Amino acid sequence: MHTGTLIAAFLTLCIFSFLYKDNPFYKFAEHLLVGVSVGYVLVIALNTTLMPKLLNPVFKEGRFDYIIPGILGLFMLLRFFPKYAWLSRISIALIIGAGAGVAIPATLQAKIFAQMQATMINFASVDGIIVFAGIATTLAYFFFSKEHKGWFGTSARVGTWFLMIFFGATFGYTVMSRISLLIGRMQFLLGDFLHVIK
Amino acid sequence: MSRQLIFILIALSVAIPLVIKLGLPNEVTSEVMAVYEEIDQLDSGSVVLVSFDHEASSLPEIKPMAQAVLRHCFNRKLKVVGLALLAEGTAIGEQILRQTADEYGVDYGEDYVFLGFRPQYQAAILGMGEDIKRVFPEDYKNIPLTQIPIMRKIRNYENISLVISVADGDMPVWWVDYAVSRYHMKLAVATTAVMATSFYPFLSAGQMKGLLGGLKGAAEYEMLIKKPGMGQRGMDAQSVCHLMIILLVIAGNVGYYLKK
Amino acid sequence: MPQETNMQRTIPIIVCFIFGLFMLVQFFVPHHASISAYQTVLDWMQIIFVFTLLVGVISYAKLNAKKITRTQTGWGYNLIGLIGLAVMIILGLSMGTGEKTPFLWMFNNVQAPMQSTMFSLLAFFVASAAYRGFRARSWEAGLLLAVAIVVMLGRVPLGNFISHWIPDAANWILRTPSMAAKRGIYIGIGLGTISTSLRIILGIERTYLGRK
Repeated sequence: MHTGTLIAAFLTLCIFSFLYKDNPFYKFAEHLLVGVSVGYVLVIALNTTLMPKLLNPVFKEGRFDYIIPGILGLFMLLRFFPKYAWLSRISIALIIGAGAGVAIPATLQAKIFAQMQATMINFASVDGIIVFAGIATTLAYFFFSKEHKGWFGTSARVGTWFLMIFFGATFGYTVMSRISLLIGRMQFLLGDFLHVIK
Repeated sequence: MSRQLIFILIALSVAIPLVIKLGLPNEVTSEVMAVYEEIDQLDSGSVVLVSFDHEASSLPEIKPMAQAVLRHCFNRKLKVVGLALLAEGTAIGEQILRQTADEYGVDYGEDYVFLGFRPQYQAAILGMGEDIKRVFPEDYKNIPLTQIPIMRKIRNYENISLVISVADGDMPVWWVDYAVSRYHMKLAVATTAVMATSFYPFLSAGQMKGLLGGLKGAAEYEMLIKKPGMGQRGMDAQSVCHLMIILLVIAGNVGYYLKK
Repeated sequence: MPQETNMQRTIPIIVCFIFGLFMLVQFFVPHHASISAYQTVLDWMQIIFVFTLLVGVISYAKLNAKKITRTQTGWGYNLIGLIGLAVMIILGLSMGTGEKTPFLWMFNNVQAPMQSTMFSLLAFFVASAAYRGFRARSWEAGLLLAVAIVVMLGRVPLGNFISHWIPDAANWILRTPSMAAKRGIYIGIGLGTISTSLRIILGIERTYLGRK
């Protein structure tokens, strides 16, 4: 058996041991996981992004205009020095501002116009009417500027039924998802590790 | 019923059907069929962009789906451009792509390429709409894209026939917001079951062409491409475990009403 | 904490306004100069974002180092975390991240198995919670429970084995009432995103600057 499989099986069992109760094996695996994951993200970010997107253009291609985002990036690290920490706000402001700018037309198109259009196109059917009623009443439920009383309160109440259906379906799918993950780990333990299944 | 007993029941309801096969018949849903048809109708040589937008935590669900879809792509002689918008998708995506490509004997650089990871997915998705080489000057192996044959004819989304987001979060929504709405890309999604219900509005609006939802989606796709894999092997266990949880819910409610 | 000046809040608000307005207006101006500037901003966003990841890594290392130097309870576990971090950085930066590298070996045999096992634990806790807490105490709770059961059965081969009505019902639920609720949520999110984005660009929403 490969050493890798043995180690993976040991660590898998360390995590599963939490089902009995919190214990040193679990804590060991938990902390190791966090450390290794953080290290992984750092290496991937440095190797595949910082090198080709910043260091290579500046030092290999002489693209000195890339020094500006480099400096803005370094501003982020000034968060650790209270006197200069405010400079990191400039970098955050750029990302937040630019992100907000592109989000407005994209959201209008993808989440408002396209969704309303799809609702209206399919309106002339029983399902279409149910969908329309579901959207209107769900929106009514989330509208808190008017008191949920009278006809509006009834609409909001119907909205909660639609929401319950959505949550029920999502619960069903969440169960499915978590069991699939367990199946994957069992396939590893019973197959790769113990060779009970092929 | 004690917590430990419930845990044992769940473990057994997964383990036993993995050892003793029940062979319950599976059916293909229209959402999965739509992904299959979307890929199947592409001309050979068309380019498919596969984005691994997930973490390692969802590997048992993600891997069978990605494998099944990639097998179909390579079998149809499509060109595949892989990338990752979440860091952990990088190692997983690169390995799944390489291993599946090896099964079909296709060549790196000619038939497929893996570009690596880009953070800030909003900027990455939008940037590729203008110029992929600007977003990814090099591939994952640090080869400049200008030297990779498959990338010579690809500038931006105009040269890509289909985007497939293999995701465990809401990244497909970002693809809809920025690639589908702005650049009119066709998008298919392979996602973990936990996210699947959230994408039906986009499916219904035609912003997503099809949807594979978790291990069940993988099992359906494996049936379509006639290549049994991890998805189909897990379906018996999935069925039995679902039944066990339903029985637990019913038992809990019966107990509750009897006490009342 | 040093005294904050007005300039330290005003400059970020101006930067946010300029870049936000430009990216918004650019959508409607497909001129090549505008596209070129737009691509530059997108590049900058990605480069800056890498440094935000670095901030996370440094914070993690600092926090653990502090606990170790103060020999707080469980400091040994913090040391394990730091060792994991150091090993990945050394392996990744010295030997690369590609095929057959020790870095990839660590990912495949240490990180990925533990991470997926950690999430698979939820299967047990979901089952336990379903038995203990999933009660049909009201009409709404009963509806949620009934839908969950239909979807759980309808989405696996067993449902189809019992009757084709079960998967049919599950499909209808997903494509009609459940989809309608989620579409309503998305429209709400969309309206919220637009108003919040406008507030950010105009400098009304300033929480990203932190507390004064």
